[in-house]
Amino acid sequence: MNGPWVEKYRPKTLDEVVGQDHTISRLKRYVKEGNMPNLMFTGPAGVGKTTTAIALAKEMLGEYWRQNFLELNASDARGIDTVRNNIKSFCRLKAVGSPFRIIFLDEVDNMTKDAQHALRREMEMYTKTSSFILSCNYSSKIIDPIQSRCAIFRFTPVKGHHIIRRLEYIAEAENLNITTSAIESIVYFAEGDLRRAVNIFQASASMDEEITEESIHDVVSKAKPKDVRKIVNKALDGDFLSARELLREVMVVQGTSGEDMVTQIYQEVSRMALEDTIREDIYIKLVESIGETDYRIREGSNPRIQLEALLTKFLINAKAD
Amino acid sequence: MLWTEKYSPKSFDDVLGNVKIKDAILEWIDEWLKGNTQKCMLLIGPPGTGKTTLAHLAANEFSEYIELNASDKRSYDILTNTIGEASASKSLYGEGLKLIILDEVDGIHGTEDRGGTRAINKIIKEGHQPIIMMANDPYSKRLKSLKPKCNTLVLRKVHTNSIVSLLKKICIKEGVEFEEHVVRNLAKRSNGDLRSAINDLEVIARGKNKITSEDLEFLSKKDDIVNIFDAVRTVLKSKNPRRIKDAMKVDAEPSFILELLAENIPKEYEKINELQKAYEMISLADIYLGRAFNTRAYTYWKYTYELMSLGVALSKEETYRKFSRFTNSSIFSMLSKSRGKRDLKDRVAEKMGEKLHSSKKVVKEQFPYMEIMFQNNETAYDLATYYGLTDDEVKLFRSRKIKVKKTKTKKPVSADIKSTEDSSRLKSKTKKQTHSHAKVKSSLKEEKESLKPDNKAKERKKEKQDNKKSDTEKKSDNNDKDKSQTSLFSF
Repeated sequence: MNGPWVEKYRPKTLDEVVGQDHTISRLKRYVKEGNMPNLMFTGPAGVGKTTTAIALAKEMLGEYWRQNFLELNASDARGIDTVRNNIKSFCRLKAVGSPFRIIFLDEVDNMTKDAQHALRREMEMYTKTSSFILSCNYSSKIIDPIQSRCAIFRFTPVKGHHIIRRLEYIAEAENLNITTSAIESIVYFAEGDLRRAVNIFQASASMDEEITEESIHDVVSKAKPKDVRKIVNKALDGDFLSARELLREVMVVQGTSGEDMVTQIYQEVSRMALEDTIREDIYIKLVESIGETDYRIREGSNPRIQLEALLTKFLINAKAD
Repeated sequence: MLWTEKYSPKSFDDVLGNVKIKDAILEWIDEWLKGNTQKCMLLIGPPGTGKTTLAHLAANEFSEYIELNASDKRSYDILTNTIGEASASKSLYGEGLKLIILDEVDGIHGTEDRGGTRAINKIIKEGHQPIIMMANDPYSKRLKSLKPKCNTLVLRKVHTNSIVSLLKKICIKEGVEFEEHVVRNLAKRSNGDLRSAINDLEVIARGKNKITSEDLEFLSKKDDIVNIFDAVRTVLKSKNPRRIKDAMKVDAEPSFILELLAENIPKEYEKINELQKAYEMISLADIYLGRAFNTRAYTYWKYTYELMSLGVALSKEETYRKFSRFTNSSIFSMLSKSRGKRDLKDRVAEKMGEKLHSSKKVVKEQFPYMEIMFQNNETAYDLATYYGLTDDEVKLFRSRKIKVKKTKTKKPVSADIKSTEDSSRLKSKTKKQTHSHAKVKSSLKEEKESLKPDNKAKERKKEKQDNKKSDTEKKSDNNDKDKSQTSLFSF
């Protein structure tokens, strides 16, 4: 064993990338022609956007791809100026050893509109020497002028059978025993996110040599944000202040993201409905509120405030007798 | 008439402090009047030190003057049209000189006043008229091109004693009795800003015949934090739209006001439906805040303000007659208490992100799985080595130190590999790792040469890509690494 599996088993070539056949075949055509337009990869997390970008750069640029490939993360680089300076100093130099240079800009949807406009200028300026690959989760958050300058590729969640095949490949390479039901439950929890699937797999492999369905469930429940059940129960008992304080604790101190919280709350509530601990009519109302909160978190500025508002919706006599 | 105007200096002699600068300006005026063209004058100094006053006094000496300040739009066209004309057309005015005063030149806006600085440069270059410019910030970028062309004078803050004596003079003229320490306190708190000192004095002394230390307390009440709780109290206690609107005129970030309102709603509102309604308003207010931020359309803020003030206020059925203690939000203390831990997380996420081609946010989402992986000694050791985590950083994922058996079985293997390598070159761990890869690669020599220190970063990246070409290579790599990095951990 060596390093995180997500890196160890990251596909090295376009052919190895799974579950994005349509996209890959078009990208391979670019490689064949030896030329490519600016590209935009959009799709949820863990479906292969970064992997594809790196593999494409390798095949496109050949032997000296490292020198002619710049990888930048838009959400970590402090401000657009850092991004621009990096791009500028990279693009000023002519590609040596390969036909052009490639700049891979990750998570562009986390850039502000202003920054995106500035980026557009950079893209125009260096068209002769460089191509851009942008990646984002939501193309709707990218300004139109940038979208119109890119060929857009939509990455879809990775299908179950692709995940299964990849996991089996890893199991074989690592010489591990994993039951079929365990693989299936990884696929269930991964929800099309191959990175999560591999992480769950490695985590359970680190706990036990035999990997069973139980060990997968164990990993997933351990990896869940803690205290969500307590928060929901306190709110349902009418103790808003305690529920709110605990929510803040989980989000501020433990650093759980708003998206995670809302998913967990939803799962908790639906589990309670299955176990008949809350009334059905109330359950539907709660689901509606949770869904609305999920949407508002994306629109609003502070996910925690939205979730606090959601907790007030739980202050009803919801428990089934 | 405001006291700042009423008691502004009527002649250069009345101006407090900055004696040398006064002299310089007087001489500058003299030369102009004698017909000698002079460089333009740039006065730099903090607010309230008398820049504008000096410029206006100078204006009295010339036959005419024209003034533009920050409230006027100052683009290239406007400046060249209004001032450029005046400056270039000397002959039209005969012998009379026209003084041009440009206030707050460092405040010329980059986009609003496009080309403003360029226009000023042009006017200075061709102009035959005296120009005085004023600025606050000596390090402003916009002054950079202007400074060399100007006669720059830097004004100092007015000394407290000078302010005290002027304030006393004003008190006497206004017929206000005063205590020495009150006046001195006013002077001190102004921090060398004469104008604000006079303004403060006017606030507490106008229409009265005595000022005491109690009046000073009134001044300090203008602090933000007190005001913001007043705003919270009014929103939660009142249903009167006008009063609420007035109270919301606080000088604080809307997100901060929102936080405090949310914090205190459940402390005032007792009925569940009131709490729900009020929090719904808070939620909507936050959405407009998000939209404003995302689109940079800050005009959305007005909806935020309206929703979180009136929206929340009108969510109650009746006003409560009770005493409530309104407090600061608990998240602020949580934030400061957890800072160390959050910083640690950031640092680790950044380190891992480099290896994982991911942003910190994406890495942090994987932390729960890492926590599980780190419970296993071998995996933990392996991952910590891979990411280059220190002992402190490992503590983020596990409470115990990583225990690694000093494996006797592994030693011979790594020693074996070592013998094939020139061990004297292998100093740092990165070098060593890369070397073992280099060894298995065919282009051995090239790789070795690139292992100079400045290439380290690149090499680290390479190594990540090259990781594990085949199983056999892998194993030898492993052992090699294990041995070389045992020293990182204390046992």
